[in-house]
Amino acid sequence: MSAEHHSVVLDPRIAPPFPAAALPILRNSQLRKNVAHATDVIQAKRARLVAEKTDWQELRSAAAAIKNETLAHLDHYLAEFEANCTAAGGHVHWAADAAEARQIILQILRAENATEVIKIKTMTSAEIELNPALEAAGIHAVETDLAELILQLGDDQPSHIVAPALHVNRSQVREIFARRMGRTDLSDDPEALTAAARSYLRKKFLSVDAAISGANFLVAETGAVTIVESEGNGRMCLTLPRTLIALAGIEKVIPRFRDLEVFLQVLARSATGERMNPYSSLWTGVTPGDGPQNFHVVLLDNGRSPILARPVERQTLRCIRCAACQNTCPVYRQTGGHAYGSVYGGPIGAILTPQLMRMEHAQSLPYASSLCAACYEVCPVKINIPEVLIDLRAQVIDQERSKTDRAFDLMYVAMRVANGIFASAARFRLAQRLGRIALWPFTRKDGWIHALPSLGARWTMTRDLRGIPRESFRAWWAARPKVESRSGEKS
Amino acid sequence: MTPAASSRDIILGRIRNAAAADSAPAPDHSAAYIRRGQLHRPACLDLMIERLREYNADVVECGPAEIVSSIEEVLRLSGRHTIVAPPGLPGAWRVPGFTWRIDDSLTYSDIETSDAVVTASFAGVADSGTIVLHHSSAEGRRVLTLLPDWHLCILRASQVVETLPEYFDRCLQPPALATYISGPSATADIEMTRIKGVHGPRFLHVLLVHDEDSSQPQDYRKGDHP
Repeated sequence: MSAEHHSVVLDPRIAPPFPAAALPILRNSQLRKNVAHATDVIQAKRARLVAEKTDWQELRSAAAAIKNETLAHLDHYLAEFEANCTAAGGHVHWAADAAEARQIILQILRAENATEVIKIKTMTSAEIELNPALEAAGIHAVETDLAELILQLGDDQPSHIVAPALHVNRSQVREIFARRMGRTDLSDDPEALTAAARSYLRKKFLSVDAAISGANFLVAETGAVTIVESEGNGRMCLTLPRTLIALAGIEKVIPRFRDLEVFLQVLARSATGERMNPYSSLWTGVTPGDGPQNFHVVLLDNGRSPILARPVERQTLRCIRCAACQNTCPVYRQTGGHAYGSVYGGPIGAILTPQLMRMEHAQSLPYASSLCAACYEVCPVKINIPEVLIDLRAQVIDQERSKTDRAFDLMYVAMRVANGIFASAARFRLAQRLGRIALWPFTRKDGWIHALPSLGARWTMTRDLRGIPRESFRAWWAARPKVESRSGEKS
Repeated sequence: MTPAASSRDIILGRIRNAAAADSAPAPDHSAAYIRRGQLHRPACLDLMIERLREYNADVVECGPAEIVSSIEEVLRLSGRHTIVAPPGLPGAWRVPGFTWRIDDSLTYSDIETSDAVVTASFAGVADSGTIVLHHSSAEGRRVLTLLPDWHLCILRASQVVETLPEYFDRCLQPPALATYISGPSATADIEMTRIKGVHGPRFLHVLLVHDEDSSQPQDYRKGDHP
């Protein structure tokens, strides 16, 4: 039995719209309990550690400023990174889209005659759907992050950027390990389950000759790459194999080594509620006698560069993938990540996914928010997610407006009529009078409307509507008794 | 032109086109966050020790003259025998009574089957309890502090800074390799229950050497360990 009771599609091109995908999840009480518990725990830890940092707002501002500077000169910093990484013995590849990134990685692995590859958790690899491509080419991918291993063995999909298996609980993990590792001896004690993963992966680390990682930061100044992690599986993959491939979105570059003093202070606090994550690794190209001697970086665009062109949306690319917005979001906390139909769920996914899809898919995601702005408040790089959501909604509306069959769309016609009404005071007054008469049969004695037919039902199925009062403010103002002003009040 | 080279041009071209549309002024890049620590040295070292202990690292303190005897005591208490040493580790630190494997070119198997590793370090950051390795010859290549299950790290008080920016002040050149260790390997992937020791060393021991006059190791220790 899978850990999931609903089918999970994380490809935005074929995933159902958010409301449809969310419905079966909202009926899955076990999943909702798992998500609520995990996000509560992370949020509490984060809040405590952020509170002790007296310069938290200054750190956020500095992090946002460094990213803004980077994005304003992204071509320069990418070229600088490429030159320095290459000078240090690394190979830098450029992938315009997911297919090209997969092809580059497959070529490198084929040249090494690899049949197996160990992987560090990387959302970018999930974004380009790398694992199925590797399997199709006869190369077995072994996920080494505990959460990713749970998902891989359970044929499940990530639901969170930092803790991708947070929707799975301990007894579900026990069941997956029993079924796929043959470990029927295990209890559901997390310590025993973790130890089982350790021994399962240890021989892989020591025997597999190629590894794939993501990257948290690419340092333009030196050509260095940085990975932050907790378990040590990252250090194993970065140190032991002969060949290492780091797949990184082009927005991951930062100008200077020193900039890490800001990001390393905000990332772990935001992501896991730790002052610093247990292990951070930094390496530069190839170091003789230490670590992989065949090192590649794949710089992935895949829909990122067009985001730069829009001033409001550009801030999306500041994201350092901490998932604080997911943990705090009242929508994500109910649905978990799978409802978003993308490896990037939650508020950041709601703005990133449709843009990576060039606004051709995932148009329901900008609406998967109450615009409460909790995400903006916790974001360590100050991405104003509500602002971007609203701008994306406008883009979605513009798209719909340009459709040729719009004259037959009831909503479109209703909006056109409303537009005409709001444009004239006389038409507005008339509409008020007509509206009061039309709504009168639906208005209860308490002045509220609980159910409307047709289009109106879309509103009343989730909330009540105030009936139109007998007297409007304008009518009351015009009819009120005039009070003579006293002469003494004049100045 | 290879396909990869043309993709490079395409991507950089897209970025340049997008940036040309941008007329926003250069962002204010003044860093107003805290760079210098506020604590006196003894309080800063106290904080370092507190943070290390918070994540179950074992901390032992000693004066500069007691490094060798302290290493011997910690190793003896550990019950471990086969110990890996980076090539640049001071010879006197390889105390007698143990089997030392000096890393001239040890195989993974040699390292994996050893009981422990002893290394120097580059810096300590008190604010987060972070040990920094730059992998010099006394700190060893990265695999040495990864495969053995037990790590003794020698940290001098003079290497401890309070804030992360102060560590960056000490990097006259950016390092080619660095590992930042803030607690033994851990995971919280199963129901957010923190489990110590997944893949990295499960046991981290720190020998803090009070090599600064101001820190007064003897008096200092009296207060901390009755």
